[in-house]
Amino acid sequence: MPEKVQIQYDALVLGGGIAGMQAALDLAEQGYTVALVERTETIGGNMIKLSKVFPTLDCASCITTPKMAAVAHHRNITLMTLCELRGVGGAAGDFEVKVRQQPRYVDTDRCIGCMKCEMGCPILAPSREQHGFAGRKAIYVPFASAIPQVPRLDAESCTLCGKCAGLCPTGAIDYFQKPRDLKIRTKALVLATGYKLLRDYPARAWGEAADQPNLVDALQMECLLAPAGPYKRLLRPSDGKEPESVAFIQCAGSRDTQLGVRHCSRVCCMYNIKQATLLKREHPGMRLAIYCMDVRCFGKGYEQFYRNALEMGVEFVRSKGVVTGRSDDDGVIVRHDDMEGSGGPRLDTFDMGVLSLAIVPAWTPDGLAPVRVAEDGFLASRQPKLSSTLTSSEGVFMAGVAAGPKDIVDTVVEAGAAASEAGIFLKGLQAGRQRAA
Amino acid sequence: MSERNQGPGIGVYVCHCGGNISDHVDVDKVAEAAARMPDVVTARLNPFMCSDPGQDLIMEDIKAGLIDRVVVASCSPSLHETTFRNALVRAGMNPYLYVHANIREQVSWVAEGEGATKKAVSLVASAVAKARLIRSLDPIRVEAKDHATVIGGGVAGLKAARDLAMHGLQVVLVEKTPFLGGWVARLDTLFPTGDDAVELLNTLYRQVSGLHNVEILTCAQLVAQEGYIGNFRLKVTRRPPQTDEERKKLAWVRASGQVGAGVVPFVGICPAEPPDDPEESEFTTGAVIMATGFSAYEPRRGEYGYKEHPEVVTLAELIRQMAGGTSRDGHLVINGKPVKTMAMIHCVGSRQIPGLHEPGEDGRLNQYCSRTCCNSLLHAALRIRREHPETVIFNLYRDIRTYGRGHEEAYIAASENQVRFIRFLPGTPPAVRREDNGYALSVTVRDALFHEDELEIPVDLVVLGTGMQPAPIKELTEVMKCQTGRDGFLQEVHPKIRPVEVASAGIFLAGTCQAPMDMTETVAAASAASAKAGSILSVGAVELEPFVSRVDTLKCSACCTCLRACPYGVPKIVDGAAYIEPASCYGCGACAAECPGKAITLEHSTDEQVLAGQNAIIRFQPPAVGDRHEETGR
Repeated sequence: MPEKVQIQYDALVLGGGIAGMQAALDLAEQGYTVALVERTETIGGNMIKLSKVFPTLDCASCITTPKMAAVAHHRNITLMTLCELRGVGGAAGDFEVKVRQQPRYVDTDRCIGCMKCEMGCPILAPSREQHGFAGRKAIYVPFASAIPQVPRLDAESCTLCGKCAGLCPTGAIDYFQKPRDLKIRTKALVLATGYKLLRDYPARAWGEAADQPNLVDALQMECLLAPAGPYKRLLRPSDGKEPESVAFIQCAGSRDTQLGVRHCSRVCCMYNIKQATLLKREHPGMRLAIYCMDVRCFGKGYEQFYRNALEMGVEFVRSKGVVTGRSDDDGVIVRHDDMEGSGGPRLDTFDMGVLSLAIVPAWTPDGLAPVRVAEDGFLASRQPKLSSTLTSSEGVFMAGVAAGPKDIVDTVVEAGAAASEAGIFLKGLQAGRQRAA
Repeated sequence: MSERNQGPGIGVYVCHCGGNISDHVDVDKVAEAAARMPDVVTARLNPFMCSDPGQDLIMEDIKAGLIDRVVVASCSPSLHETTFRNALVRAGMNPYLYVHANIREQVSWVAEGEGATKKAVSLVASAVAKARLIRSLDPIRVEAKDHATVIGGGVAGLKAARDLAMHGLQVVLVEKTPFLGGWVARLDTLFPTGDDAVELLNTLYRQVSGLHNVEILTCAQLVAQEGYIGNFRLKVTRRPPQTDEERKKLAWVRASGQVGAGVVPFVGICPAEPPDDPEESEFTTGAVIMATGFSAYEPRRGEYGYKEHPEVVTLAELIRQMAGGTSRDGHLVINGKPVKTMAMIHCVGSRQIPGLHEPGEDGRLNQYCSRTCCNSLLHAALRIRREHPETVIFNLYRDIRTYGRGHEEAYIAASENQVRFIRFLPGTPPAVRREDNGYALSVTVRDALFHEDELEIPVDLVVLGTGMQPAPIKELTEVMKCQTGRDGFLQEVHPKIRPVEVASAGIFLAGTCQAPMDMTETVAAASAASAKAGSILSVGAVELEPFVSRVDTLKCSACCTCLRACPYGVPKIVDGAAYIEPASCYGCGACAAECPGKAITLEHSTDEQVLAGQNAIIRFQPPAVGDRHEETGR
């Protein structure tokens, strides 16, 4: 699919995850032109990589792909991938946004998506999408439903053997592509930059004990559970054995004022319950223990989802779990305070451990955009109770986890709210111009 | 009997759905079998048919002139029928030359092994049989009025009215009582920001009242509705205040000269005098936003001593009593008595468990979490500890659910301010009783985080964190034909794909009529609903699915069977024959099924098409190659 670059848009949405896609769609439906600017090679964000989503247990890709397709085909939306924000100038109503587009090394206009390059590439490198559990070629489309369906050549793993260029029927491979600096003028900005996990927490909290192959984070677990996952079922990364027991360790970094972050990451209780539910349905005999302080199931249908997990036999251990070591057969040793029983510390060994790492912003403005962050590190709201999607700057709006951790339901609603506020702002500009004329 | 027109043929596209389908159904076999079905010219596979590469397969075949009918075998049509129809449009084909076979929800998720594959094949055979008989249809295009109606004058309704009006629509806000502001008017400050409720409401009200295109009708109720998206005909009645409480509040607002002024604390905004006599009005609107809010759970008599001891109050009652309250020696004073120690009990009327909790009089059991009570209780506790540092507070909870921005910080602050937390299990809830112990009451509770030891806490006050319940709007939901979920709240189409829409087009949800939420979340939902309604109505016209019933007036004997069969009251007798307004028809087919004269046909599900599909399921045997074009589908 060709990615055309236009100079002027009504709105620029930064981030092509579910928040950015929904905000872009809701603005485009109001008749505004939108540039959707995404840092990676495909839209879809974190949501497309999940297995199933709580509490309906819809498969994540089944409900993300239609949004992605809708974005890709909307006449008012221009998609720009591999683009990073370099600065925002101008003022509300006429921002000048500087964007650097990293080279794909494939000409998007020429590529016909035949995938001959990917099939012919002799290099195998760990797949970032699959968290290194599987390989990919040096020139690749990250996953089956990625948009755009144009491969990207990874310069770091490519050996410049020239095979792909030889195989490409349209001469689309271009080893000499350079980063491009683009200037985009836009009247409004929507920041939907999403989250990352606080990955350095385990080493900081537990030292060497945290460094073991069968201790994975929740997104890795999602990958292992996804229908298109690396093994098509849950296997231990260390030896490919089917685990008989899994420990889920909540609040690994969240609600930890000393080594982690103060805030609650809001979604971990529910996704752990979901992961446990999915496993329990497939393997009724598997031991599944969730180490938690509070169980936070506050959304529509969430409490009932939790009750179901309890009835299926998922254990909820009321204590923070601490990873203390690795057993002889590569199990994860977890210590907790036996608050409900006789008291005192207790050790337990599981075939696998899953960490609910804290959710932190994937991106901070750092002087690149004229918006303030709040004490929790996420973007600050000008009117948290009346219009939570207004940032500290006029004409700049926010949606999704960039504005604080939240689940998909709340993200989609908030993206709609951001589109409403941004639409009202744009309408105000039009009215102002008419008055002036 | 209509034969298939002699176009190129049918393309069948079978989806793996990652492994959702292909783990249990042999999709290769399904495609092979499909390829041998009558009129099928191609049968293809893709890991995700809904992805761009998947859709491209279909579009390529159409553009190449290979096919003129499309069958996709994948998930539920509710997810992706529209996706694939749009692909047909992009390839230049009529979008209704499409039939969907659901081999995920109806097959791979409920069956496995050989049987699953067989069932998938027969569903595809059925879809193919139907596809041979379908014809091009045009969507129904109706003009849409740039006018929206908001039902409910709380923060959700006010925010929705403001956003809709700012999007350029004419807006009518319908509020049942004489006052705007809903539950927020009954609060003092809001968690976690500590914003003043009156100030927030005044700001929101000013945003709305300053707009020339918003009309506010208080004391008003929607009593009848007919029509469809873009053209709902609404009937609204306005009546003088109905209850003593309303009349009392109104008298007070009048006496203090605040009609037409801003927020009167604990009452709300009275924007105008209510009517002296009942009046009725009718108008046409393009969309309706439901912002009807919630009711507070009312504890049963004796539940934690409620209504037995005056010292047991709900949080809302406490907030009312604290307004203008006094402090004595650092103690909170309630009803003239200093509170040395108080207990707050969480989850009252929320997270109820069948078999453990007693259902209400109407048989209701609130199994859900009310989402806001933990935060409101902690917010109140923190405020009391700061303003009345000698009052000791115990929080008796099941889980502390401080999930949102600034919530956990409030929890930490409460702990640092010596609010004490005791976790109890749902099976051993706290007990409240009168005790002559120098305090008013005694609360006993088992500490779930300490050997379930029983603690006895002497207290002067017990505060119940009561949850949210659906508002009593049964008549309104019937008028609007909205569905409610098992929890009694209004039901959205899909929580993630279409969270603020209901199944009937043109009706949207905002706020706590859908589920418990706090003010931030409520106004976000109201804005999201407004954006949706705004973008549909600002175009001036709406396109609707053409899957509607049509009457052959020559065959109709005006027997009125369809009038009785239709669950939506759409058919009418006009000029001696039944008339079904296409834009109002839901396409359920009840009339077509019952019409004794076979005068009614449901487009895209004609008797012929349905029977062909059923017959294919009943007797489908994979035909030998060469059987093509010999089957008629009947």
